[in-house]
Amino acid sequence: MAESSNSRKRRKIDPDSQTRIQPETGPTRWRTQAEQQIYSSKLIDALRHVRRGGHGGVRDAADRVLAASARGRTRWSRAILTNRLSLRLAQINRKHKKAARPSAGKSRPRKPAKKLPPVESKVKVLSRLVPGCRKVSLPNLLEETTDYIAALEMQVKAMTFLTGLLNAGAAAPA
Amino acid sequence: MEPELEPPQLQFRSAEMGCAFDDFHGLISTPQVTGGSSFTALLELAPPQAVELLVTEDFPAKQPPPPPIFPTDIGLIHRASKFSVFASADNSMESNTILSVSNSIPVKQEELDADSRRNSSSPAGSDQSLKSGKRKEREKKLKESNKKSKSKAANDDGEELPYVHVRARRGQATDSHSLAERARREKINARMKLLQELVPGCNKISGTAMVLDEIINHVQALQRQVEFLSMRLAAVSPGIDFDLDSLFTVNGSSNDNSYSGIFAPPICTEGQLDGARQLQLQQLWHCDELHQSVWARETDTSNFIAPANSLLSYDSTSANSGKQVAPRCTTS
Repeated sequence: MAESSNSRKRRKIDPDSQTRIQPETGPTRWRTQAEQQIYSSKLIDALRHVRRGGHGGVRDAADRVLAASARGRTRWSRAILTNRLSLRLAQINRKHKKAARPSAGKSRPRKPAKKLPPVESKVKVLSRLVPGCRKVSLPNLLEETTDYIAALEMQVKAMTFLTGLLNAGAAAPA
Repeated sequence: MEPELEPPQLQFRSAEMGCAFDDFHGLISTPQVTGGSSFTALLELAPPQAVELLVTEDFPAKQPPPPPIFPTDIGLIHRASKFSVFASADNSMESNTILSVSNSIPVKQEELDADSRRNSSSPAGSDQSLKSGKRKEREKKLKESNKKSKSKAANDDGEELPYVHVRARRGQATDSHSLAERARREKINARMKLLQELVPGCNKISGTAMVLDEIINHVQALQRQVEFLSMRLAAVSPGIDFDLDSLFTVNGSSNDNSYSGIFAPPICTEGQLDGARQLQLQQLWHCDELHQSVWARETDTSNFIAPANSLLSYDSTSANSGKQVAPRCTTS
């Protein structure tokens, strides 16, 4: 009857969803070799465009490429990609105007609140570490952290490989 | 245990009629079965849209439906939830949706998002767990209407189930507050378990605070590593332009041979390359294939930043043949 048709439809959807969902979403996608290769090649390409000097230029490029590989599914990746614009504006403003630091919005007067629960304070620290996750609820924050850690590990692996490669490439012919 | 009940469609049918229920039997005795669309199709829709869809399907004579009036009587809802279909494992997902859609009581958004994601990410796993008898944890008593609105749940990337359903375990308080807290805690604990598996050395630690400490340390360490590596890359990076061939030559010996094959094609096929750069890259590869030894001789990295520009001008004039660019570079 309708029940059986529902269960049949359910079973039909399930293998599809399984194959579709598992490799694409979830933090396990960062583990695949293919993802690392894609990231490495994109990183090399992005490094050509890095402007000369500027502290942390390579770091920002690496993070941006990493966020781009996330395909916009996670909050931290979207935050990294959108932060670039605001940061760039801030840098320009700082250079040109040398305005007073816009600390009014950031560090509001720290009223002593009852932030005793140690778990709560750690959660806040963690939310500051993960980009774009300051006002995110705890379960979402944990999920973002999972993906972020997996992505960071992949980034470290890829960059290690690249530096080794480039160092060997530069050293061998010389 | 829970009584085996009629298929969830009946319940939904009765609920979406929008009439006030005085008697629970009104829920049971409503006959209808939905038409062609199955409820699993409704899973794709956000709840209000799903409700609208169903309402318009079944009552075409009516106007485009106003948000259906669902019973807000808490007692009725509790009774309904108690007697709804919880038992069958296969129908659990559907009954979840149906209950949620039919009862549209606002639930906290984060629970919906998180649980929807969790449900979506492990549909098979949840089915199996259901079949294994964890039915107690699936369904949740309906919340009071004074919880925060879930209007954002529909907008979120929730093509999955938007509602959380947790069953009260035996011997636990069935207060809606504690139910909500318990559901929230379970979600948080599930995420924490995933994180524990991810972070090395967290499996042995017990206690949320310690685990969070470890997680924070791990994230900070990874970020420091990235910073350090980016510094090293920045030091090496001026020599990147000509290093494609070095990658080819080196990769023959390295153990990550899988990398070598992909460096050439992906960079070439990147959509963002403009014509000049693509020409330059192709030129590099052509030269590399034909005159690899010549190319490898050109080791001075500093000479290659200027020739890169000259390459561009050179390429614009010549055809894309396998000309020998290296001698030209050395003269400049």
